[in-house]
Amino acid sequence: MTFESITGHDRQKNILRRALKADRIAHAYLFEGPEGIGKRLTALAFARALLCVDGTGCGDCPACRKVDHNNHPDIHILDAEEERIKIEQVRSLQQELMLRPLEGRYKVCLIDGAERMTVGAANALLKTLEEPQPNTLIILLTDHPEQLLPTICSRCQRLPFARLPRRQLADILAQRLDLGETEALILAALSEGSLKKALGQNRQLYLEKRRGLIQGLSALSAGSTIPTFSLADELATEKELLPEILDIFQAFYRDVLLLKHGRPESELVNRDLLETLHKHCKNVTTASLMKKLKALESARYHLQRNVNRQLAMEIMLLRMVDA
Amino acid sequence: MSYLVLARKWRPQLFEDLVGQEHVAQTLKNAISADRVHHAFLFTGARGVGKTSAARIFAKALNCQEGPTTTPCGVCPSCVEITNGQGIDVLEIDGASNTGVDDIRELRENIRYLPSRSRYKIFIIDEVHMLSINAFNALLKTLEEPPEHAKFIFATTEPHKIPVTILSRCQRFDFRKIGLTSVQERLRFIVDREGVEISDRSLVLVARNGGGSMRDALSTLDQVIAFCGEQVAEDEVQGLLGLVSRRLLIETLEAVLERNAQLALTLAQKVDEHGHSFRRFCRQLVELARALVILKVVDQPGELVDLSEAELQELRALAAPAALEDLHRLLEILVRTEAELATSHDQRLTMEMVLVRLAGLPSGIDIATLIDRMESLERKLASGMPARPSGHERPGGSDRPERPPLPDLPPPGGGGKKSEALPVADAADKTWAGLVAYVGSRRRPRVLALLEQSSPLQLELPRLRIGLPKKFHYLADADMRQAIQDLATDYFATEVRVEIEQVNGGENAPLSLHEERVRKESDREKKLRQNALEHPLVKSALDIFGGDIETIRAIDKGFV
Repeated sequence: MTFESITGHDRQKNILRRALKADRIAHAYLFEGPEGIGKRLTALAFARALLCVDGTGCGDCPACRKVDHNNHPDIHILDAEEERIKIEQVRSLQQELMLRPLEGRYKVCLIDGAERMTVGAANALLKTLEEPQPNTLIILLTDHPEQLLPTICSRCQRLPFARLPRRQLADILAQRLDLGETEALILAALSEGSLKKALGQNRQLYLEKRRGLIQGLSALSAGSTIPTFSLADELATEKELLPEILDIFQAFYRDVLLLKHGRPESELVNRDLLETLHKHCKNVTTASLMKKLKALESARYHLQRNVNRQLAMEIMLLRMVDA
Repeated sequence: MSYLVLARKWRPQLFEDLVGQEHVAQTLKNAISADRVHHAFLFTGARGVGKTSAARIFAKALNCQEGPTTTPCGVCPSCVEITNGQGIDVLEIDGASNTGVDDIRELRENIRYLPSRSRYKIFIIDEVHMLSINAFNALLKTLEEPPEHAKFIFATTEPHKIPVTILSRCQRFDFRKIGLTSVQERLRFIVDREGVEISDRSLVLVARNGGGSMRDALSTLDQVIAFCGEQVAEDEVQGLLGLVSRRLLIETLEAVLERNAQLALTLAQKVDEHGHSFRRFCRQLVELARALVILKVVDQPGELVDLSEAELQELRALAAPAALEDLHRLLEILVRTEAELATSHDQRLTMEMVLVRLAGLPSGIDIATLIDRMESLERKLASGMPARPSGHERPGGSDRPERPPLPDLPPPGGGGKKSEALPVADAADKTWAGLVAYVGSRRRPRVLALLEQSSPLQLELPRLRIGLPKKFHYLADADMRQAIQDLATDYFATEVRVEIEQVNGGENAPLSLHEERVRKESDREKKLRQNALEHPLVKSALDIFGGDIETIRAIDKGFV
């Protein structure tokens, strides 16, 4: 993995390149940004460039190969075990970081999902993070920087990663998946700038089922109790895909909201459903749109807290229909 | 030697270098020069304000070969060791990694031995809040009366997690957040030594980004230098820090205050295109909204708002046409949104919703004046006009509309109206209504129900003629007639002959009890409505707000 092969994030790559060139590498970085946009890839590319024999990340030298094959002895990667990163993991990492690098100039440590460190683990890391041994590089990766302790953040050089622009993502998707422009743009918009999400298994859902779902939803009205409940029933059976389905609904209502406030059509997600959108836009007030969106949001909140799925869906739909 | 980040490279080595913590430095220096050094210290404060640095400086000052001094030399073996964190007599312990009671027992073993070279054995326990409760308790006795050669320094960001028994044994020093100017001066000092060119405005941005913490500011400076090299341009700093440009922020607030949702959404789109985080955007909006509120309340905010005069002018122009109430709500909603954004699934949507909502808020002036007017109304009512009582008590007001008590059920004895309608023959209070009540008391529900529906056509004992509407007439069979006759005989205490006839609606038969009740009920409703409409409170409310009275509901049936 080299910097060049990572899509986007030019600014971040430049910062790292310059740091390499000027030999001003901080001992701790915090890469923060949404999920699946290439933080870990960037971190690995940075590590490879740092450990490369030529100092360029050539890809041919033994060090580069080892990094690519995930078996470089000087790279330590900490991943969450059972959702959390525990204090034992941090302690054994500290043991490792006490030693000198085995092969390269540096010892590199990646902590992926740093927000998942337990309080104890995060605190145990503090002293190491502040003053590690010379030639140590610690990179924390996180999707939710606000969940980290302020004492952790303050010890790192922060490097915020932005979402990939929709247009850029759509181009890549169109190229890689051989999609039409509209489809690529819809997929790009729904995956919120995350390449991982766009290329993942949700593609089919986003492209094929979306129309049906939206039509089912927009057909509901205040009087139609039975269709409301049967849609809720249907949604509740989609255990794995439910968050994405909610994304689709949300994107739909957001489109209506934008349309209502006179935003151009190019900004919309569901650009193949313009007719439905326009129809909705006429029939619905801003206040009721807000209520619908709130209902979606609270359903999402409840689902994350393991409530009864069917009940959550029924309440959400009833609230949306009533709004 | 690899590159050292600025925060480590420029870690303060003397009390004089401790920026913004003069109160701590002075106290510690005085303690040393007066030779009244306590044996346990607790340094608390936010991240990156100099707790660990102060602990190290203090350790150096105590152990310096020059004798306990307020200016450690920094060159003697002891000072060098401490600077490098290798001193054998100064043990820097990571409280978060060594949390258990066993670690403390080890420390207690260790503390008995005299220092090997220096004057004191100094234990610096950083992140001390992570020690377990047992560990803290194991430390108590030692901490209270340690050997003469031992000193403890605890450092933590979370003093509230430390047991009171520990707190009471330590001298506590609270480290303040460092002021913007102090941070800026220190940054200037460092960049000059580092040979980096950077404008004052950029330094202010960097310092502000630190949020009162020197280490945060230095980390940011590091980042800036790493990106820009030796020449730092201001807009690069802004972009690097992810700061949304002032122009965009002010335009957003303007759009919201002018209730232009469309423009606000356009600006949100711009923010997204620039790749800014919406949380950051919201936080900056909060800062600006705060400045607006302050400018609205105070003429010369001075240090309350750290903005240049030109920026202040711009904000004043923005704040001038808006009502304080509006700005208040703006700030309140934005503050709440900032917290919401942290957990939000789709930050952009949340922000867009808030902007639309803010732009759609009805102007606060209306509400404020409404409240004023309501208050004046209340005063008026309290002084002059009597208010409607809240309970059953009757006020003595003279112009209060007359409200005669209306009984809900016809009294058993029969009211005036009813006795008129009834052809009474017996003067001894034995009436039709009395008969019906008597039937009720004898628990004959079927008979009672029928009698309530029927009208007394003639009551001239021993003759009782009852009229029944057509729909009930079929119920009055011979058994029923016998039952009524028996009951009536018991009631009137004389022989009664009952005749049952069928009557039609339009005939002028006397009303049955049931019909009477229905009519009375509607009479009462009418009266209530009338009374309510005439009530002065209601009238004034209608005057002020306009509108119609839709329904009137009696709260308590027995009240009127």
